[in-house]
Amino acid sequence: IINMIINMLKQWYQRRVRGSFKNHEMDPFLLKKIPKDTVSRLEEFALYLRENKKERRSYVSVVKTVNVFRDLICTADWVTARELIKIIKCYCKYLPLSQSNETDVSNVVRRILKIIREENAGPEATNLADGISAFFKSDMKPSNLGRSDLQDNILNSIVELLVELDTSKSNIINMALEHIHSNERILTYGHSNTIRDFLLHGRRARDFEVIVCESGPSLQGHRMAAELSAGGIKTTVIADSAAFAIIHAVNKVIIGTHTIMADGALRAANGVHQLAMAAKYFSVPVIVCAALYKLSPTHLCSYDPDAFNKVIGPENMLNFSNAKLHSKVL
Amino acid sequence: KQWYQRRVRGHSQTHSSCFQNIYLAGKSITEKAVNRIVNGDTILIFKKSQLILHILLEAKAQNKEFKVVVVDSRPDLSGVSSCERLTAAGIPCSYVYINSSTYIMKKVTKVMLAADALLANGYVLGPVGTAMMGLIANTYNKPVIVCCETYKFCERVQTDSILYNELADPDSMLKTLNAEESPVAGWRESPNTRLVNLVYDTTPPALVSIVITEIAELPCSSAPVVLRRGAVKM
Repeated sequence: IINMIINMLKQWYQRRVRGSFKNHEMDPFLLKKIPKDTVSRLEEFALYLRENKKERRSYVSVVKTVNVFRDLICTADWVTARELIKIIKCYCKYLPLSQSNETDVSNVVRRILKIIREENAGPEATNLADGISAFFKSDMKPSNLGRSDLQDNILNSIVELLVELDTSKSNIINMALEHIHSNERILTYGHSNTIRDFLLHGRRARDFEVIVCESGPSLQGHRMAAELSAGGIKTTVIADSAAFAIIHAVNKVIIGTHTIMADGALRAANGVHQLAMAAKYFSVPVIVCAALYKLSPTHLCSYDPDAFNKVIGPENMLNFSNAKLHSKVL
Repeated sequence: KQWYQRRVRGHSQTHSSCFQNIYLAGKSITEKAVNRIVNGDTILIFKKSQLILHILLEAKAQNKEFKVVVVDSRPDLSGVSSCERLTAAGIPCSYVYINSSTYIMKKVTKVMLAADALLANGYVLGPVGTAMMGLIANTYNKPVIVCCETYKFCERVQTDSILYNELADPDSMLKTLNAEESPVAGWRESPNTRLVNLVYDTTPPALVSIVITEIAELPCSSAPVVLRRGAVKM
């Protein structure tokens, strides 16, 4: 009993000191519904997102997300779709999804929630003509399916989702020949796996040149150029500042992006905006290749780093060894 | 008589046309440009230019309160030494790469650029990246001030940056700050890879608001007028 009292006091104290449990521990409601080994996998995934490596591939995190949620659906304790959605939303509060660059993960979670609602609505699935609110309320109706049937349907749809994600890149790549013509000069920016494979696929049938902007300070463009020239494409590397100088001599600009916002705007690597401006000035077409999971229903609310951008340490720009300057410059 | 005068007076510097055209021109431009800097300005400059730095230091000496954003680009990164000079004089300074210029342009009030030449059709020849600055400033409706002495006015006509340009050392593009090797370090062996390090680029006159020269403050299209007047003759 004394131990119990001490534990309770400890928890109360920690909660007071650390603030809301949302930041560090899972909601006790959630912990009740999920078996222990799943909890450790869920925590691992949250840690993976929190680590936030800047070179993390969208596709890898999206597939990981689907697998984690599939795990959650199978092992959690739920009977109706409504309970399941509540569990998922509770878990999402624990994930660092409010960070602006987690749009790929958020989009996939939205897809999964949509799958659950659709399966729950059953054969007379609400179409959007009834209104979006009717669709979102559809999980309130208890469906005739029991948990195991509903779960089977949901898991089947999730497998279809995984297949769609798997083939999304190859579907884009297969369109390469429609957009690349012989003896063209194509400008691209930095590094993108989709664009690299797009161009390499085009190389199989056409002969063209690629100009890559090196995208300082990370110099991802150098990596792209090395991969493209290894694949047999004549590549030229230029500095980002030379983009305006060279763009009038280019036939088209093909870029990848991180997210496509609801109004058609792009959240892409840092210098892409100025590249697009230069292309517009000279009326050079800009083609963006991105998979469906990058389409996000969010709008741009502000340019501040907190809401929209990510600011990383300046050691790539100004060496810390130049400390005298470092301390004075913003 | 001339020989005698030259012996007595020394080879007087102040009467030499070289002195007038180069040194005094710089001073005159500085005076005009400093008048355009007001308290509370945030001025964007691109890389390093003696003339622009001189203008900013002079404005600071006249106790004007302003901030500077230094936009720098690879591979030569000369903006670092600009920053050093400005912070040594006590001017608050920000340092960004050219990629972030669209982000920072909203907070800037004026853009001051230096030119290497002003062509007869009004195009401004400057270090590569100047045109990009002009374009972005124009999109965000910021005034672009180009400072250029009249000896830089040129009779050549050029509509794009590639017609005439220079290539600097391509290996300097491989330099990275954290001393990792670039993936294209072996570019000379690979038949498919080329590194192109352009030195200049041309800014169309539509993107420039005003050109400050020592004879007057002109629009870009007045370049042929200045050339015709023969003000360039040394």
